[in-house]
Amino acid sequence: MENQKVLVLENITKVYPGVVALKNVSIDFEKGKVHCLMGENGAGKSTIARILTGLRIPDEGKVYIDGVDAVKDKRAYQKVAYVPQELDLFGSMTVAENLFMPFGKSGSKSMFVNNRDLNKRAIPFLEKFQITANPSDIVEDISVSEQQLLQIARAIVFQESEIVMLDEPTTSLGLQDVERLFKVIHELKKDNKAVIFVSHKIEEIFTIGDEITVLSNGEKVAHSKIEDTNIQQVMQQMTGRDIDLTLTFYPEKISDEIVLEVENLCGERFADVSFKLRKGEILGFAGLVGAGRSEIAQTIYGYLAAAKGKVKLYNRNYRLGNVSKSVKSGIVYLPEERRSQGIFSILSVKENITLPLLKQIIGEFTFAAKKETTIANQVVKEYDIKTPSLNKEIQFLSGGNQQKVIIGRSMLGKPKIIIFDEPTKGIDVGAKLEIYKLMKKLADNGVSIIVISSELEELFKCANRVISIYKGRKVEEFETSESGIKDIMHSILGLSKNKS
Amino acid sequence: MGEPSKAKSIFNAIRKNKMTNIFLVFLFLIIIASIFSPYFMTAYNIRSQAREFAFLGIVALGQACILLLGEIDLTVGTTSALCGVIAGIFMVRTNFNPFIIFILILILGAFIGFINGALVTGLRLNSLVVTIGMVGILNGVNLTITKGQAVLNIPESIYFLGKGSLGPLPMPFVIMIVVLVVVMIIVKLTRLGRYMYAIGNNRETAKILGLPVTPVRIFAFSFAGMLYALAGLIMIARLGTAQPSIGSEWALNSIAAGVIGGISLVGGIGNPLGAIIGVAIIIVIQNIIVLFGVSPYLQTAVSGIVVVAAISFDSITNMVSQRKKRLTKLD
Repeated sequence: MENQKVLVLENITKVYPGVVALKNVSIDFEKGKVHCLMGENGAGKSTIARILTGLRIPDEGKVYIDGVDAVKDKRAYQKVAYVPQELDLFGSMTVAENLFMPFGKSGSKSMFVNNRDLNKRAIPFLEKFQITANPSDIVEDISVSEQQLLQIARAIVFQESEIVMLDEPTTSLGLQDVERLFKVIHELKKDNKAVIFVSHKIEEIFTIGDEITVLSNGEKVAHSKIEDTNIQQVMQQMTGRDIDLTLTFYPEKISDEIVLEVENLCGERFADVSFKLRKGEILGFAGLVGAGRSEIAQTIYGYLAAAKGKVKLYNRNYRLGNVSKSVKSGIVYLPEERRSQGIFSILSVKENITLPLLKQIIGEFTFAAKKETTIANQVVKEYDIKTPSLNKEIQFLSGGNQQKVIIGRSMLGKPKIIIFDEPTKGIDVGAKLEIYKLMKKLADNGVSIIVISSELEELFKCANRVISIYKGRKVEEFETSESGIKDIMHSILGLSKNKS
Repeated sequence: MGEPSKAKSIFNAIRKNKMTNIFLVFLFLIIIASIFSPYFMTAYNIRSQAREFAFLGIVALGQACILLLGEIDLTVGTTSALCGVIAGIFMVRTNFNPFIIFILILILGAFIGFINGALVTGLRLNSLVVTIGMVGILNGVNLTITKGQAVLNIPESIYFLGKGSLGPLPMPFVIMIVVLVVVMIIVKLTRLGRYMYAIGNNRETAKILGLPVTPVRIFAFSFAGMLYALAGLIMIARLGTAQPSIGSEWALNSIAAGVIGGISLVGGIGNPLGAIIGVAIIIVIQNIIVLFGVSPYLQTAVSGIVVVAAISFDSITNMVSQRKKRLTKLD
């Protein structure tokens, strides 16, 4: 009989400066199975990814790929196809070019690249991976979900890969696209590949997984068949504590005072959006990725230009289009793309916290270094940010802690309206709850909040009202206490009967 | 903790500092030069080198501010030359107090920088492309005004800025030190400076946070332009004539100095003091080439080789130290 265990990690230990990333971890991965890895940020998932792909060599332990000791024979790593979380395609090249890059692997030995030939040969692969784009389309022009699928296709196509590792593949996918991805994963299973599926979304794991391994603080805390466990148990294993799924975080008391009134706002990729935001309220924006939710928020914030429409802030007419003015007026926008829009990666935690506030902290020209440190320290303490030191470059913090830095520094300016764009994207369950609690605390203190989220459960937990957005237009408004999650889902999919 | 540990931590900080390597290269070059050439350590040579140092130093500090933002400025020497000849013409042909002209020309330099900055920010153009174009324009204006001829009879009242000394130090060198202090204060101590690092690191984040991105970028170009004009002015004070062709090598040398000194070309990383050490290395190399009697035809090649070697040295020591770090973690 053929050996089913195509990939074996044996007693892996990996130490980074200051932290033990993996402690004596052993995992077996079998052919034709979807093996899910779960764990909070910093639990060691990405270290496993690096070890499986040969980017890092374990300090102790063995990696067997198809029976070969991969540390000794590096060629074995070629059997592992890794699909990273972030898109890293060549945006201005065609779908087919991306699929076959580097061209040598396409089987063509020729020095010249024949586009027509490439396009023709791409078609069967695109079909297999449920990609509807044409081979000659420019990658930047196709949808994010298609790009994600293309990335998976590219990783698998020409390598003799037996093992496919998907790192949070659904982060930026809408509901329908997740289903499409799952179909692709089923195909992979049929081809007898071992699929390693890393995700924070626990429901997905129970839909697609066969086996599950839970990591916590670099240690393997549990491994079982998916049918032998349940959501509650896995969450507890991940966080080491019980989490009540039915908890809600929306503020109970809301004043009638309206702080923001938007009327027929039009802009890039959306039109005729009107809504009101009350003081101390959490308002949710629901919609698929690309529906225009972020664009609406960024336009109100002044980052994108508005085409037309009226906005009243605190009952006074407000002219859009200037970020600095918005900040001064008490509006804060926390971007979805933390790395590219939220943090200064190579600056320290301290600098990241104090930057927007320098004017208040210091005089016009010189620094009051002590005061700066004090303020940064307060923020780190108040928001429970885990960092070895204030001077650590922020890029070395986990996603949840980076998000807390961003929230903490925004609070320093005492904002009145905060727009959270996907506040828990790429953040693990435990840290998510902390962020929900934080939002509720802010709302209870009279801050008005707009939350944009692709996770409907998240909106149901946190928002008083939810506005559904479909193809750049507002569809309906829901009171979360009086509506069901299904109604909103229909609405954001454009299936709603009573389109307003 | 006692004194020794503090001394040790300071020592460690020095060892880890990026500029230390580059400074060691500088010391090494000085030792080589002193051993092999009896003229190198003479007071005359050092003073004249310090004067050379000053010009490239001043413009390199301007360039450093721009590199920190992740931009690049090729108008360095051309701005200096144009400002120099315009200053010369006004000083010779009008009765204005030369020092008032001096101030006006500094403003002119800042204005040229402002145009660069406005084009880069307003039209979202690439600074490399904009400044390539500007070099052509400034040069054209320069040659049209001067027809390639030097402006003679610069008033002697400003000579002290170029030819004078303060104690043992040549005046241009003193001015450069003042500029260095000013730049260091701006970059390291002020809000503006912190914004510069932030914008160089991630312009999108800076925009979303509502930092004054455009004003800071325009400021950097204008401030640099002013420093280029300053270098041009001191140059005419030193030569006693306004030459239309000064500073032809400053653009590339100022960028090289910044890179040698550890300023990242993608922005956000580095220290203007590093650029000054970079300038020192370039000046010493050029001096060595002359003192050792290298054929003038080979001079640019030799100085190119040494620049590449200096950058490689820094990169290699980095790789070695990182590797060492990894190995020590294994036990």
